[in-house]
Amino acid sequence: MTHHSFSRRGFLAAGAGGVLAATMGARPALAATDVALQLSWLPSVQFGGSYIAQSRGYWRDLGLNVALNPGGPNAPVEPPVVAGSALMGISAADYTAAAVAQGAPFRIIAVAMQKNPFAIASLPAKPVNVPKDLEGKKIGMALANTPVLKALCSLNDVDFDAIEIVPTQYDAAPLLAGQVDCLLCWETDLPVAMIMRGLKPITMLMADYGYAVQSQTYIATDDSIANRRADLIALLRGEIHGWSDYLADPAAAAALTVKMFPDAGLDLKTQELQAARQVPLMFSPVTEAHGFGWFTDDSIAANIKTLALLGQDVSPDLWDRSLLEEIHAS
Amino acid sequence: MTIALHPLRQRSSDRLWLVLGVLVALLIWELLARAFAHTYLIASPVEIARYLWANAGLVARAAGITGLTAAIGFVLGNAVAIALAALAVLVPGLARMISALALVVFCLPLVATGPILRVLWGPGLGPQITLAALAVYFTTFLPLMVGLRAAPPSWFDLVRSYGRGRLTALIEVRAMASLPYLFAGLQIAAPAAILGAMFGEFTGAERGMGVLTLRAMRSLDVAGTWALASTAATISMLAYAGLGRLGQALNTGPPPLILAPLLEGGRRKGWRVLAHPILVVLVLIALWWLSMESAGLSQFFAKRPGDVWAFLITAPEAAAHRATLGSALLETLVLALPGYLLGLALGVGLAMAMVLAPRLARAVMPIAIALRAIPIVITAPLIVIALGRGATGTITIVALMIFFPSLIACYQGLARTPRQVLELFDSYAASPLRRMASAQFPAMLPAFFAAARMAVPAAILAATTAEWLATGRGIGGLMALTASTSGYGMLWSAVVVLAGVAVAGYVGIAQIERAVLRIYGAEQLTR
Repeated sequence: MTHHSFSRRGFLAAGAGGVLAATMGARPALAATDVALQLSWLPSVQFGGSYIAQSRGYWRDLGLNVALNPGGPNAPVEPPVVAGSALMGISAADYTAAAVAQGAPFRIIAVAMQKNPFAIASLPAKPVNVPKDLEGKKIGMALANTPVLKALCSLNDVDFDAIEIVPTQYDAAPLLAGQVDCLLCWETDLPVAMIMRGLKPITMLMADYGYAVQSQTYIATDDSIANRRADLIALLRGEIHGWSDYLADPAAAAALTVKMFPDAGLDLKTQELQAARQVPLMFSPVTEAHGFGWFTDDSIAANIKTLALLGQDVSPDLWDRSLLEEIHAS
Repeated sequence: MTIALHPLRQRSSDRLWLVLGVLVALLIWELLARAFAHTYLIASPVEIARYLWANAGLVARAAGITGLTAAIGFVLGNAVAIALAALAVLVPGLARMISALALVVFCLPLVATGPILRVLWGPGLGPQITLAALAVYFTTFLPLMVGLRAAPPSWFDLVRSYGRGRLTALIEVRAMASLPYLFAGLQIAAPAAILGAMFGEFTGAERGMGVLTLRAMRSLDVAGTWALASTAATISMLAYAGLGRLGQALNTGPPPLILAPLLEGGRRKGWRVLAHPILVVLVLIALWWLSMESAGLSQFFAKRPGDVWAFLITAPEAAAHRATLGSALLETLVLALPGYLLGLALGVGLAMAMVLAPRLARAVMPIAIALRAIPIVITAPLIVIALGRGATGTITIVALMIFFPSLIACYQGLARTPRQVLELFDSYAASPLRRMASAQFPAMLPAFFAAARMAVPAAILAATTAEWLATGRGIGGLMALTASTSGYGMLWSAVVVLAGVAVAGYVGIAQIERAVLRIYGAEQLTR
């Protein structure tokens, strides 16, 4: 570990110019190319594989000097990628489809979360185990996600009108305060927070009930795919390498994340639990066979079907697997 | 000693009242927290102290970085406000244009500006500093404009009789006259800068109070959430008190007796009345287009005037777009308007109550600052829990957000009652109520109207922020939705419509103001 943290420090210093890293005795960096990866949220183990790639120097070895730009609640991923201030961004199939419908020249070039992380969280006293249980319940969620709930209902023959939607902030408090019976949230954050407080939430993963929308998808513009292909491939290679390490030891990724961001208020136990819970969303027999980030034609077809339920008309052109294929060929 | 108006004039009994106020507030807090412990919403003072003790380093580093960005934004924003106000006074022909630009820029919602600032600045502190500066400059600019005019006309005659011009008048007369108003503005700005910096962190950051607050809220860390809120509130209160002290030290002279002649009709010629607003709109559109073009911002997310025109007027779905936008706007205004009136009334009412019962001021002021300084991200869900997700919650949030600036501005305005006038009332043994009604209230009117104008964009910002963070309804909810689904055409149309509403409200109040100040503060209407 100490070796990795040393090279990371050298790496950070290199952010200033690369020259510093050489003088510090790190491996001489040959005019590394500066690129930025726009993350979709605040630092957490959600991006553990990227942090591993960063700290173990996988990108540096590929000739890249990568900045991992943090996201946040008021930091949509699409603008910096369109503007070119980030070469690649972490989006989701539905957000990317919406952006493309508005004229953004994006493609999905790899998929981190094969399974959508949306889940319905409830408490044992009033559990939601299957979609049908939603009928007659009060669900707390952002109104903006109404199409998501509608899609789940139509996929599972649930009466949407029998559910009462209560607009809430993204926060588990309304569930615990008894204002709502269940929450629409990610499998990997609010339920984790509840478990850490000693509660026993029940989660129903929407992906297990036909809601097929890839999440944490890697997006790039057509222009970058054509003209900065080598950089994109190197960026993806580092990601794949980092996330493969992550799978081998998610707890180490959690520890690394907490260590890398001492000021982000991260709790090690919480990060470890989150790290474990996102493994089944990101890794599957498909990734085992083809490697991290891979997506099949079947997955594309399923996504197009679910996106249609969300009111988004999407063609298979939204996806471009050619970069992953190139990585595999070599 | 006729009247104790200065907030920081300390006597031992006042200190006692201050301590008492704080203690009562802490006690109420502790009891509330215990009563609502099961809801994961409020932490008690004891829990907060325990959290701060255990995480002192973390909170200190976060407060350091957020405090630093807020401070830089505070200095820059206020420097811009002072420069703009000075320019408006030196070149009176530009005054309206400057006010309009300042207003419209202040109205730009965070949902629209945040991502653009992040793209322009890249990673780092740029957006945080910019948003902190944007949060403060308008509330300084407006009181300052009032203060720069709050001098007896005879003083200007004196400057002119020496053959000097506007610049001398600005430096020798106006600057001194405006100091109390400037410091009232700076005091309002202190908590706003902290909030701006925290919202800036939402555009992507790795550290700071905003980052920690968000993390704490999502991990049900109630003690952490409230410890951070308390820290933000404490920093704001210290800044407020420090600025108050500085203002008091610099403000040596008593408020002057201003006798300005009543303004005669003096309306400007027909074509100028018409041409001026049109010119302002044209300049705004040109600046909008130019700034985006010169920064080379992609049309995908930085929509130009033409894009909005097409979206709302010429596109095939334009009618549907207008209908969506219109109903969302209506939903927001129905809540923003009562909140605006309530907040303004509370501000004026409390300011007058505090003058009539000066001891009340010592006890109430810290609570008022704390209410303003606790980030709306934390208060919004609390208020919604307490008052429901209907109209009452949003109205209360709006009222809370504008009550504090109104209170400070009006309280300061009341303090500008000329001593000679007060002495006259005293010599007739007039009751405090009588003195309030006939002397202090009229003296406060210019500051009150500045507060009323200032509160127009603040009310819209508060309502849309509450909708963005808590209820998901109205035009705030619509903007949040469109920003996350790349609906930038709708987002920028909403920005334009909101700016239009703010300008309309502002102009409406300015009209009432002219009519009232023609009688009570004629010096404000001269150039």
